[in-house]
Amino acid sequence: MENILSVKGIKKSFGGVHALKGVDLTIRKGETHCLAGENGCGKSTIIKVISGFYKPDGGTIEVDGRDYPVMTPADAIKAGVQVIYQDFSIFPNLTVIENLAFNQVLANGKKFVNKKEFRKIAEEAVAKINFNVDMDALVETLPVADKQLIAISRALLDNAKLIIMDEPTTALTKKEVKRLFEIIADLKKNGITILFVSHKLDEVFEISDSITILRSGENVISCPASEMTEEKFAYYMTGRHFDNQELADNKKRTYGEEVLSVENLSAPGFEDISFKLHKGEILGVTGQLGSGRTELSLSLFGLNRPTAGRIMVEGKEAKLTDVSKAEELGIALVPEDRLTEGLFLPQSIIKNITVTRFDALAGRLGFIREDSLVEESAKWVKELGVATKNHEFPVQTLSGGNQQKVVLAKWLANNPKILILNGPTVGVDIGAKYDIHKLLHKLAADGMAIIVVSDDTAEVIATCDSAIVMHDGRITGILEKEDLTEAKLAEAAI
Amino acid sequence: MKKQMNKVLRQTEFWVFLIIIFLALIIQARSGAFFANNNIVDIMRSMICPSLYAVCALLAFVSTGPDVSFPLVAALSSYLAITISIKINYDGPWFVVYLIGMFFGALMGALNGFIIVKYKFPSLIVTLGTSSLFSGILLGTFEAARMDLPATLQRFAELSLLTVKNEKTGLGSTLPMTFLILVAVYIAAYLVLNYTMVGRGVYAIGGDEISAERAGFNVKKIRFGIFVVNGMIASIAGLCYAVMSMRYLPNEYAGGEMVVIAAIILGGTRMTGGIGTLKGCILGTLLLTMVTNSLILVGISVYWQKVFIGAIIIIGTAIPAIQSIFGKNKGKKVKGGEAA
Repeated sequence: MENILSVKGIKKSFGGVHALKGVDLTIRKGETHCLAGENGCGKSTIIKVISGFYKPDGGTIEVDGRDYPVMTPADAIKAGVQVIYQDFSIFPNLTVIENLAFNQVLANGKKFVNKKEFRKIAEEAVAKINFNVDMDALVETLPVADKQLIAISRALLDNAKLIIMDEPTTALTKKEVKRLFEIIADLKKNGITILFVSHKLDEVFEISDSITILRSGENVISCPASEMTEEKFAYYMTGRHFDNQELADNKKRTYGEEVLSVENLSAPGFEDISFKLHKGEILGVTGQLGSGRTELSLSLFGLNRPTAGRIMVEGKEAKLTDVSKAEELGIALVPEDRLTEGLFLPQSIIKNITVTRFDALAGRLGFIREDSLVEESAKWVKELGVATKNHEFPVQTLSGGNQQKVVLAKWLANNPKILILNGPTVGVDIGAKYDIHKLLHKLAADGMAIIVVSDDTAEVIATCDSAIVMHDGRITGILEKEDLTEAKLAEAAI
Repeated sequence: MKKQMNKVLRQTEFWVFLIIIFLALIIQARSGAFFANNNIVDIMRSMICPSLYAVCALLAFVSTGPDVSFPLVAALSSYLAITISIKINYDGPWFVVYLIGMFFGALMGALNGFIIVKYKFPSLIVTLGTSSLFSGILLGTFEAARMDLPATLQRFAELSLLTVKNEKTGLGSTLPMTFLILVAVYIAAYLVLNYTMVGRGVYAIGGDEISAERAGFNVKKIRFGIFVVNGMIASIAGLCYAVMSMRYLPNEYAGGEMVVIAAIILGGTRMTGGIGTLKGCILGTLLLTMVTNSLILVGISVYWQKVFIGAIIIIGTAIPAIQSIFGKNKGKKVKGGEAA
């Protein structure tokens, strides 16, 4: 088969930092090719080179058999290369019609608006993927998945031959991901090549024909997807060996006394939930989006007031009416959306880690002693292996995995008895994910009781001693360690 | 049909329109003078300058952020136009004076646009700064004082489009020719904003700058252009004000920006950009003008007017907030229903 895209020896550096050190990427016509790699491996840079937004320092670009000594964004579009960015490049304040039609109208050099023509273009676009949407709706009122479909149908309008999707599943629910994959399959049938950028194992295996992995700006491997295994994939991405099974097997089941007992608890979002949690135990709470798992975690942290049942902490009934009560009892929650709920992004790493400790670290008059903050934060940065050169840097400069470590550090600094983590590794790359799982095991071994709320079954299997499965606000299964398998978890979730 | 109804209900403009009707009826009921011909003409007359400023504020808010320099651009550019016309003893058609003003307005707008586009400074800070600068030039360097208009503008000022007389009270009111200028500016702005790609670009940039660039809009050019156009519209408004006052009053311009901004926010312009209509500008300005002009008919003192204006602004800006909360809840319900 011919190649739709062949780039060789692409080099690109920014102010002395080599983002790409001679990357090759060859994509055959009509295939779905996956480009994988951890954050900062150069994925985004190579996409921008291919789409003409960056001028490479060296290397050749060939699209559909034609050489491009200089590639501009307009050249790329003419050659049939379209990028679906993570933000979809849409205008939330404008209608679906305008979002779909702008690119083409501008490309044709038109100066005036012809509403009929706009509608025609838009209708042609959505017809390509059988996408049903209110054409006159403002895009900001649509769900994320629809915004993505707008971006895809718009890309198809320009006679796209190669569509590059930059982490397209990040903000989608499972159902939406499924629909996206169906669309990708359809596009493939119509001879359109897809470059799928992702670091999510399961998706990569499900969708792609071949895989290219980058690490720190260099090619690691390119091979058919059939020759790739999960272990190899993780190894090539990070250069480290991980074994989730080993991780799961190594976890010792040594419990201490009971620290938390939930009895017939009901609250908005769930009903009649009972379970017990012991010192040193890691309990999984799993279920699909909307199953009530998040609401349950909020109730245990005083953020979702129960309507019936009770919560016992260390044998005493606890009235968890607000967060400070929960904190007094030694309960900590690492929230689902760490960016909005768990971190002060523009603030320094030091301040983020020590924010829950200000009271304890303050001097006699209530003034905060800077040196004690630095000391405390340095301890945690070291303990959790946060990769940073300077603790004064704002948290937003860190990668997703390291941000998550800072959130963890913030709560661990308070030395909680019960640690609840909601989606602890959502959006975190594979290496940091493994580190976080190992850390959870270590914390449990030191006697902390942990609840992991997650829809990632692999995560539940790797970390938990037992798991409750929720569906529609109720418990539909309780699985012990030996029963924790993908199949049984899936079965219980329905 | 239901969908269309919903759409109308979601527009802030519709609610402002309702408030206007409501207020008009109350004033009419209490005083019997609101719908009198002279009062209507008075309101139309008072709306001319604020409505022109409102276009400046709208363009800036939708595409970039607040522009607060338009009153001073108006003051300085009309000063220059009038002074130059007097110095050279100009006595040709009146609109040439306007063109001179627009030239200087465009220069001042270009200064705003240049700093905002080139250095990516926030428009509020830049326009606050240039306002100060223009005010310094006007009152310090030129020592501008009250002065009479050049003869050609004087004649233009004495023309009237419509003169009415209230039979009952004997009070009269005149609608000046400047009203036609207002209409012309709005028609031009409407056509450009809705029927040219540059106009759609103004909204696109406000929605998402990066997306606009990727789609092929020339973001820098459009943004720079907006501030130049703002300067020109401000100078038109400045000269209209002088014409309607029959003389140039340098100290009457500054401070007008806040009420205008309040009016367009009331009219549904979104402070974060991307959303706002000319219809909203007119309605918002009308509402505030009605309050300042007509509350006195009901016997509410001038001091209380300010309280009313404040209350209307707060309530008006709360409407979109309430709508968005309402919208969110609705969204959640749908999501929950899907999951169940």
